Amino acid sequence: MAKVVPRPDHLSFWERIYFVEIFKGLATTLGHARKSLLDADHFKVINYPEVQPDLPRDYRARHRLMKRPDGSPRCVACFMCSTACPARCINIVAEESPDHHIEKRPAKFEIDLLLCVFCGFCVEACPCDAIRMDTRQAVLAGDNRRDFVIDRTKLMDWEPKDYPLEDTQSQKAPGGALHDQAMEAFKSGTYH
Amino acid sequence: MFLFDWIQAHPYQTVGLILPIAIPLILFQVLPLLVLLERRGAAFIQDRVGPSRAYIPIPGTGLRIRAFGMLYNMTDLVKLLFKENFVPPFAFKSFYWLAPAIPVATGLLTPALLPWFAPIAYQDGSAIGVLPGTLITTSSGLLLLFALGSLSVYGVVLGSWSSNSKFSLLGGMRASAMMISYEVSMGLSVLGMLLIVGSFDLTQIVDWQGHHTWGMFVQPVGFLLFLVSMFAECNRNPFDVAEGESEIVGGFHTEYAGVKFMMFMTGEYLHVLVASALLATLYAGGYELLPFPMPMFVDTGVGTSEVVWQWLDTYWIKAHLGGVLAVMLGMTGLLLIGFAWLIAGRRANYARQKAQDRDLRMREYALYTGAFSVLGIGMILGAIMSGLFLHTEPISRAGALAAYSVPIYPGWVDAVTAVIQFHVVIGKTMLFAWLFIWVRWTLPRFRYDQIMGLGWKVMLNIALVNLLITAIVAKAIGGGR
Ligand code: SF4
Ligand code: SF4
Repeated sequence: MAKVVPRPDHLSFWERIYFVEIFKGLATTLGHARKSLLDADHFKVINYPEVQPDLPRDYRARHRLMKRPDGSPRCVACFMCSTACPARCINIVAEESPDHHIEKRPAKFEIDLLLCVFCGFCVEACPCDAIRMDTRQAVLAGDNRRDFVIDRTKLMDWEPKDYPLEDTQSQKAPGGALHDQAMEAFKSGTYH
Repeated sequence: MFLFDWIQAHPYQTVGLILPIAIPLILFQVLPLLVLLERRGAAFIQDRVGPSRAYIPIPGTGLRIRAFGMLYNMTDLVKLLFKENFVPPFAFKSFYWLAPAIPVATGLLTPALLPWFAPIAYQDGSAIGVLPGTLITTSSGLLLLFALGSLSVYGVVLGSWSSNSKFSLLGGMRASAMMISYEVSMGLSVLGMLLIVGSFDLTQIVDWQGHHTWGMFVQPVGFLLFLVSMFAECNRNPFDVAEGESEIVGGFHTEYAGVKFMMFMTGEYLHVLVASALLATLYAGGYELLPFPMPMFVDTGVGTSEVVWQWLDTYWIKAHLGGVLAVMLGMTGLLLIGFAWLIAGRRANYARQKAQDRDLRMREYALYTGAFSVLGIGMILGAIMSGLFLHTEPISRAGALAAYSVPIYPGWVDAVTAVIQFHVVIGKTMLFAWLFIWVRWTLPRFRYDQIMGLGWKVMLNIALVNLLITAIVAKAIGGGR
């Protein structure tokens, strides 16, 4: 919400001779300088590279692909995300899946992070909760442009232990807290 | 060795010969402090931490010395030195190269006219010699100072004109018009002080303030006008139209890079330093300690004492050097311990954060805290020692020399007094420099027509009225000189 500061219709005599107002301003800035000097807790900044920011989970950071209990991607190569993507940075090549319930799976799944605008539309578009942006990796660095095109392996390179227990979808992946349960369901064909 | 013998026989003359080199060098040491004050001060006013990352690793210990951001001066210097020395093809070469040198040159010349310590009377064979506190001794010091100061506008004008670029020229035109307009009210505002003291000699002006009161209490209006004019002279906010970066890129130094740009920046900071020193000299008592006399109890016989209001002037300092030194050292020691306490606070704050380099920083902060508290405690011990054991006596004189009324002290007393007075001047200068920085980060830039209106319609009139009233009062009270 923008704060509307009303403009004064006319300046009073004391405001027009500058000096009083100048001293008021000086007092304000000196107050800030004094607080910053005496109280290190006063700073609203963090010592960035040494202290990492505590990003919330719903911060739209680098993508990841969710996994089934057997470690294969949840993605069914439906192209919903690449269709929704305003930057057209998702490049999917589909192939036939051995699992006849699923039909398709991605043979290639690449996201060009240099093109990506981190809008999150792909996450919204995905019908099977297969792509997410909750890795909290906000700082991406690389030596060349190729480094920023991340493929399936990179997208699926995550560990369930880095995600909260409430995140049941992540915990069903190999190594997660709910993996054993999910694996049984997967084998008996009741998993979805 | 002839030279050695001469130095031994003429210690005061030797010091007089060294000072013209030493004082500019010392001022160059104050400059990085000023830049640090500007950067960290700006950061603190804006609730930021400010530059604090550049470090020197200490091999073997794994320590990193960051020196509170002081090292940025060094890194900046290296960066600017190794930048391409670019000269735009459309520039007028000779003036383009000359312009950056002018502000630095005038900035280095003007300190020669300011008194950094009280003139020292010494025994020179069978006569009394005087070592002046200024590098150039002249009875029209102030006039020369203003003449030199107004030359600095040439740096801006030549730089902007020879750059042959519209932005530069705009900045230069604005700056030259503004600086010349404000020179009028600057000269008129300082005239009041001159009328009261009755001399153009800066040493005499300071001496007068040491025995009456500081200029800013005698001439408050003149002081304010002079302060504002100084802001305009230095091209500092709120008068920095010469380089209004939001309007005309960099103003007069848009086309400058590398070392030449650094010269402009050095010139700017030198000007702030000189302007602050001038303010301290003209209106804050220069090297004098206090703006009022101190009550002293003097024994007037058995059991009775009388209160005498004593000015703490140079002779009083020399006679009570131990006590003065004790107060100065004690205050510095307390400041250092306070600083160590601040650093300890920073250390505790950093310990609470989940930082990767926590141990490294902890050790560095501990080093600072330890070093500054040891230094502070050492200073306080030194203060106690000097207060208890340091007593000074004038040299007893016989014959022709006894006729002089000025007491003569041994050389070390003169040296310590001069150093104390130099520190007093530098301290006051730094306070005024902080005022410059403080105002810069508080006020927005004036619009150009507002600057001109303020200069010609308001300040000039106030300066004239102030001068008139001062002249009448000075004539009525002082009888006119
Ligand atoms: S975040 Fe937006 S731009 Fe990036 S891949 Fe997803 S849909 Fe495309
Ligand atoms: S929308 Fe989901 S399932 Fe469809 S291709 Fe994209 S990631 Fe795969």
